[in-house]
Amino acid sequence: MTGDDLAALLPILVLALGSVGLLLIGAWFPRRRTLILTGVGIAVAAAAAAAFYTPPVEEISGLYGSGLYARFFTVLWSLVAALVLLLSVRYAVELGFAGGEYTALVLFGAAGMSLLSASTSLVGFFLGLEAFTLVFYILIAFHKGDPLGAEAGLKYLVLGAVATGFMAFGIALIYTASGTFHLPEAMEGITAGARFRPIGLLGWGMLLVVIGFKVSLVPFHLWTPDVYQGAPAPVAGLLSTGSKGAVFAALVTLLAGLPADRSDLIPILWVLSAISMVVGTLSALRQDNVKRMLAYSSVVHMGYVMIALLSGGASGGRAIVFYLVAYAAANLGAFGVIASLTGAGGEPQTYDDFQGIGWRNPFRCAALAIFLLSLAGIPPTAGFIGKFGIFYAAMESGYGVLAILGILASLISLYYYLRVVVLMFMTFECEVDHARGGISEHSALTICLGAVVILGILPGPLLDLIAALFS
Amino acid sequence: MIVPMSHILAFSGAMFFMGFACVLAQRNLIMILIGVEVMLNAVGLTLVGASALWGQVDGQIFVIFLMAMTSAEVSISLAMVVYLHRRSKTLEADAFSGMKG
Repeated sequence: MTGDDLAALLPILVLALGSVGLLLIGAWFPRRRTLILTGVGIAVAAAAAAAFYTPPVEEISGLYGSGLYARFFTVLWSLVAALVLLLSVRYAVELGFAGGEYTALVLFGAAGMSLLSASTSLVGFFLGLEAFTLVFYILIAFHKGDPLGAEAGLKYLVLGAVATGFMAFGIALIYTASGTFHLPEAMEGITAGARFRPIGLLGWGMLLVVIGFKVSLVPFHLWTPDVYQGAPAPVAGLLSTGSKGAVFAALVTLLAGLPADRSDLIPILWVLSAISMVVGTLSALRQDNVKRMLAYSSVVHMGYVMIALLSGGASGGRAIVFYLVAYAAANLGAFGVIASLTGAGGEPQTYDDFQGIGWRNPFRCAALAIFLLSLAGIPPTAGFIGKFGIFYAAMESGYGVLAILGILASLISLYYYLRVVVLMFMTFECEVDHARGGISEHSALTICLGAVVILGILPGPLLDLIAALFS
Repeated sequence: MIVPMSHILAFSGAMFFMGFACVLAQRNLIMILIGVEVMLNAVGLTLVGASALWGQVDGQIFVIFLMAMTSAEVSISLAMVVYLHRRSKTLEADAFSGMKG
């Protein structure tokens, strides 16, 4: 590793060293508010470093890219981490979180996500994925007073550890078949006629299972609702946006290396996408807990992203990246509203907790309504543009059936999203009293709301930027 | 190579699935974690074998990364085990089933 490599790693170093620094400072000065706000500053600094500093090398030690694509995702995940921390300021005080540890873990998780999105080698992929998986083992069970949190942490830990084993074995088999970890060369081991093709294919299959588990595609989604329900709301927001988006970002690089003839892979991805949309939608319909509903809705959304991944090519890649941004803003906002409503009595989760609260907390509930409409894909929100891009790419490359399934799933999804909106605003009777929310939460929600609305009305600049990533 | 790659793959594959069977069959949390360790060690063996097959050190370097990652994972999971035991006085995985749907 040379000095140029280190310079190219600058944003990651800011996140990781800032995280370690806050952990040490937190041991002596346990002031939650200051520590978390410092964490926000570090995350924004990392985003600025990635956005404005042009790295001197194109690739770092053959492990991570440092081109535009990698920098874009570093900015995105750093900003997501900053928003998550902003949403946690009052929440952490209310539930008595240790400020230093919490902030350090979120920042370190953002570093892992950025590395994963930037990975150009299977080793880099493994290390990035593990960096934030280990963080989530702790963060999910962070609320020590909550039995559901402990259960959620246990479920994620056991399944995550098995997934790690499968992923590592899959990578080892791919290496056996091709003799390199570097992408896209590592994919040559599975081309027709290669010496160890069956072993390479087995390794690929194992890797695909793990990816399905991490982004919770049906049938690997069973952990999702339990973990979302038990995890603290800001952590669930980070889990559903950052960790899944980073895996998809890496998957785009991974699939780009595949041989042109993908006929043995396409049916598998097709089925995964279709059953994720169908099973996710049907399960979301019968939930009476908002966090579980959002968990199943995230399964459906990952099914949509799979469509774009199948379509492939530049238009598919652009659709994925735009959708990840739109989904991150809306989903983080939705979990943020839940976090801001959390008081001493715990998080509002069941539909009864949302009965008629719209008129007591007009700004936050209106924001939640807009986030849910964006998730449903109603214009003029970012979700509409994202879905339009995905279905357009699908039609273009001949996946009409999947596009129709996706549009049907979006129509049905209106029912479970609008149900929450109706509960909040269609009655004046309100028996529950929720927290009023702090200024940091309101500003974070305003940022998410701004992103959702502006990207819905004026998607042009971001679309141009994303087009530049793939040129 | 003195040992053919096929033997290494057969052995490590068997080890991997024994570890996986341990995870699936055992209900005690500690035993589940031991099963995961066996799976990860099978991975290490495959990597070292493949490294010798291709005459490179890449695989061996990855084994060292894997060891570091595994020790981090074990320390976190053991901390979790202690925390869960304090909470509910049991380490049976089936005792944690409060959430359904």
